Amino acid sequence: MKSTFKGGVHVTEYKNTRAAAIETMPAPQFVTIPLSQHIGAPAAPVVAKGDYVAYAQVIGRVENGLGCPVHASVSGTVKEIKTIENPVGRSVQAVVIENDGLYTLSSEVKPFPKPLAETSAEEIVNLIREAGISGMGGATFPTYAKLQSAIGKADTLLINCAECEPFITANHRVMLERPQEIIGGTEILMHALGLTCATIAVEDNKPDAIARLREHTTPQIRIAELKTKYPQGDERQIIYALTGRELAGGKLPADVGCVIFNAETTAAVWHAFYHGMPLCKRVVTVDGDCIARPTNVLVHIGTSYRDLFRYCGGLVKEPDRIINGGPMMGFTQWNIDAPITKGASAILVFSKDFAAKGESRQVPACIRCGRCVAHCPMHLMPQMLVQLSMQRRYEDMKEFNVMSCVECGTCSYGCPGSMPIVEYIRVAKAAIRAAAMKGGEKK
Amino acid sequence: MTTEQESVAVAQSENEAFYGATLTMDSSPHIHHSATTTKVMADVLIALTPAYVWSIFVFGFSAFLMPLLGVVSAVLFEYVTQKILKKPITVGDLSAAVTGLLIGFNLPANDSYFLPVVGAAFAIIVVKQLFGGIGRNFVNPALAARVFLFLSWPSKMTNYPAPFAREFGDVVASATPRGGAAVSLLDLFLGKCGGSIGEISALLLLVGAAYLLIRRVITWHIPAAYIGTVALVTFLFPHTGGFFNGQYMLTELLTGGLMLGALFMATDYVTSPITPRGRLIFGAGCGLLTVFFRYFGSYPEGVSFAILVMNCLVHYIDRVTRPRVFGGGKRA
Repeated sequence: MKSTFKGGVHVTEYKNTRAAAIETMPAPQFVTIPLSQHIGAPAAPVVAKGDYVAYAQVIGRVENGLGCPVHASVSGTVKEIKTIENPVGRSVQAVVIENDGLYTLSSEVKPFPKPLAETSAEEIVNLIREAGISGMGGATFPTYAKLQSAIGKADTLLINCAECEPFITANHRVMLERPQEIIGGTEILMHALGLTCATIAVEDNKPDAIARLREHTTPQIRIAELKTKYPQGDERQIIYALTGRELAGGKLPADVGCVIFNAETTAAVWHAFYHGMPLCKRVVTVDGDCIARPTNVLVHIGTSYRDLFRYCGGLVKEPDRIINGGPMMGFTQWNIDAPITKGASAILVFSKDFAAKGESRQVPACIRCGRCVAHCPMHLMPQMLVQLSMQRRYEDMKEFNVMSCVECGTCSYGCPGSMPIVEYIRVAKAAIRAAAMKGGEKK
Repeated sequence: MTTEQESVAVAQSENEAFYGATLTMDSSPHIHHSATTTKVMADVLIALTPAYVWSIFVFGFSAFLMPLLGVVSAVLFEYVTQKILKKPITVGDLSAAVTGLLIGFNLPANDSYFLPVVGAAFAIIVVKQLFGGIGRNFVNPALAARVFLFLSWPSKMTNYPAPFAREFGDVVASATPRGGAAVSLLDLFLGKCGGSIGEISALLLLVGAAYLLIRRVITWHIPAAYIGTVALVTFLFPHTGGFFNGQYMLTELLTGGLMLGALFMATDYVTSPITPRGRLIFGAGCGLLTVFFRYFGSYPEGVSFAILVMNCLVHYIDRVTRPRVFGGGKRA
């Protein structure tokens, strides 16, 4: 039986690039590598303007706190260290490197000297940290920290290959083209966690990927089929579908004995262990009606959207929005020169016509149809939350569990009244957080 | 350069022309389902069409004109009110058309052509627009209009023409099945009987409701709970005395606008609960009150009053039936 969860909605898949094999894009002349690409502390630069850097050399380090190093994605000369905006609008430092086109590999890059069986969990955690790996599904949590906190606590290891967001096929292609990396990465994570089995979860709209993984898997690693339904790729819904455990809002998977990694993150662990290669490149789905040649591209971290679009044949229509991530949860970007980061699974460019499709230019009005309530994967009452948010009764919204909202967008997607439900909830959550911080100061 | 190279170069430069475009900053999601209020309301209109056509066949021209007048005046009143109140014009969402049609459905086909117009004015201006427009009214506008007309013009509202009377060129007032006319259960089910314009054919109303269920416009909860409750109570405790009377139960289900009410009025989104459990409670409450009003009330009217009373409890029902939050141990 296929596993699934209660609620959710079938969204139009738009998996236009499912047959587009991963193409390796040569790095452009300049790459801009942000020193903060994950949740946690930003890295401090360890190189200066004018320095020569080798490919995969460390250029930024986190001395204290949650974080992992950042590496050069090309070899060349550091042109400058400047402040830019990250994909969600925060100011971060970034190192601009002029690519010498030689990709001279850093001497630090070498496979781990011991076989997996003799490697300790601590060594694996360190290795993942040094490789600069953070969640590549979009949430960008440092992978070493997730692994470390799960050791001894988690009894279930899950690999998230659901890829439930429309348009994105990056993980799908990695599963098809590099299945042994995902399986191998899973074995490394199993070893670190001291587990004898693991589950790789794939939505059933990717039967070819499921077959491919089954060809390469080991008896210990189960390939589970999930019913295709948004937001199946949300870790809460994967955990529920496969274990029946419910993860409350604000809790971590380890709290219910689970640990869950993204498909490409798992492949990155494999690269780090067997090749000593840190995270310098990732697969990005480039799609949307403005893109001349939608495809999957293996991109050097720090490549600008502009260079990426140029590689994909440019823009054929006037863009209305550039989205970092999927269309359901991705963030709009204002700057076409922003760089690809470790968390960017897709860059989508929509024209005004496409983005407005379905919204139908009607005056937004709730007709209380109850679809949002029926579909909410967290079993909230979005309609009630909107009502309260409109009246700015944010405190009352806590009673309706507003903080459990994962902002997956299922409610807004299906709303026949075109209500911007998620926006109303975001406003309220921000207000509640701000009030809590203020309250904390007073005490 | 060869021609091919040239065209590639031209394409390249054209494609880059858009790189300087101003980009919209917006909140996700960036795609939406194609469902709109207009499409939902259009589905309701489609679902009501078979019953409408049948009533024209049974009652003739006035059964055609009265609902039509309801629709036209409801749309017009909505337009004018929104103009005067300086609100965006939303008659295109078809919700006023649905209200107008339902007002017509709740009238006898007796040539009192002012009834749908006055009813639409009350429903749209007072009940809907003055409470804030679509989604804000707390009682069903069409039902409120029916009760308003019923209390204002009781004789006109109960002057029912006999079915098929026009075939004989002779319009006579007649008793409805609830008023004591003897009609077989099969004729009641098919709609070969007297009554309000839209209520007579249970069969065609069920066909319309099935369409709405298939199109996922409504869910089964309210109709099932409503009809089920009425069936259970009237079967166990028939008002005629005794117990377990199937014949009595079916008559109660097929008369007095119960099908129209349970399938199309109680399921009105705006004035019914949004949670599945809330909808079951709401439907059961409508059922109990309908039987209560029929058994003990002094008006020949149960369905409208029952639904209007339950409308007033919707907000409370929503609050007490909120679903258990995912990951929350107990009911939140």
